[in-house]
Amino acid sequence: MVFNTGAALLDAIVLAVVSQESEGTYGYKITQDVRKALNVSESTLYPVLRRLQKDECLEVYDRQFDGRNRRYYKVTEKGLVQLNLYRVEWKSYCARINDIFEGGVNS
Amino acid sequence: MNRIEYMKRLAALLQDVPVEERIAAMQYYNDYFDDAGEENEAQVIAELGSPEKVAAEMKAGLGKRTENSGEFRETGYTDTQFEEKDMPVKYRTSGQRGFEEQQSGDQYGYSENQTQERKPWTNKWLKIALIVLIVLVGAPVLIPVAIGIVCCVFALALVAFCIFIALVIAAGAVAICGMVLFVKGGLLVISSMPAAMMIMGIGLILTVLGIVATVASVRLCIIVLPGLFRFFVDLCRRPFHRRKAVA
Repeated sequence: MVFNTGAALLDAIVLAVVSQESEGTYGYKITQDVRKALNVSESTLYPVLRRLQKDECLEVYDRQFDGRNRRYYKVTEKGLVQLNLYRVEWKSYCARINDIFEGGVNS
Repeated sequence: MNRIEYMKRLAALLQDVPVEERIAAMQYYNDYFDDAGEENEAQVIAELGSPEKVAAEMKAGLGKRTENSGEFRETGYTDTQFEEKDMPVKYRTSGQRGFEEQQSGDQYGYSENQTQERKPWTNKWLKIALIVLIVLVGAPVLIPVAIGIVCCVFALALVAFCIFIALVIAAGAVAICGMVLFVKGGLLVISSMPAAMMIMGIGLILTVLGIVATVASVRLCIIVLPGLFRFFVDLCRRPFHRRKAVA
């Protein structure tokens, strides 16, 4: 990818990925889902998840799976509000960039 | 470097972060390896990068909080990460060069991950089905066994009770026997005096012994039976009120 992904955009992507699972999802799957869209390093996501958890945008719980505890991440109310903010901001950002790229001369 | 060595190295590098951070991170990466599966271990290690890099990223993440301003910032530590990743191979350190193929080749990894995704659900249902199966298979065996155990305990209680009752009855019988012999001996007085005296004597001895034994066994019953009764009540209560029974 040519463009940089800032911390906020990465937060938004992770929140969006986690929010798609109502039951919550786990680290490996989050990484794989994010990597479908974005070629991020596997080690990048843990600090992001931890930070979102500390900011109370994500909550964690452990659930038994295959005889071991697996940590699941779930979006909180605050996380959903934050995600909606990101979505609105992203739309306007995209619109502005698109305006410049495609219609800059006309407008 | 295998998984265990990797985790050990990471733990050593995280010695200077708060304990709860270290535990959380170790659990995360442990989960990560588990979820990736044993067959992908080497790939995961390659893609995560060196433990030094993981630890450095983590520590940087601990120190810095996002402002959550909704701005798309183009600077910052995470950024330099991506920059480094997106740079052509020639800019990378020799240690990282090898990852390029695996990172671009992650497409094939997804088919495996897709099956991974559905695992928790099938597994949950599988477990429920397994429990139902165990109950179905186990019930015909467990219920009769439980009934058998209850019956055994009940029978043992009954046997203990009967033994003591039998003792009383036996002692009573000896006493009655003695009395009967005494009366019989009395009837023989006319025909044969010595025989009558002997039988009456035996009868008297038996009567006294019987009465003494009856009194003794009744006393024994008074002492033993309530204790026995309490013991069995306790035994029956134990499976239901474990703590009470212990106390």
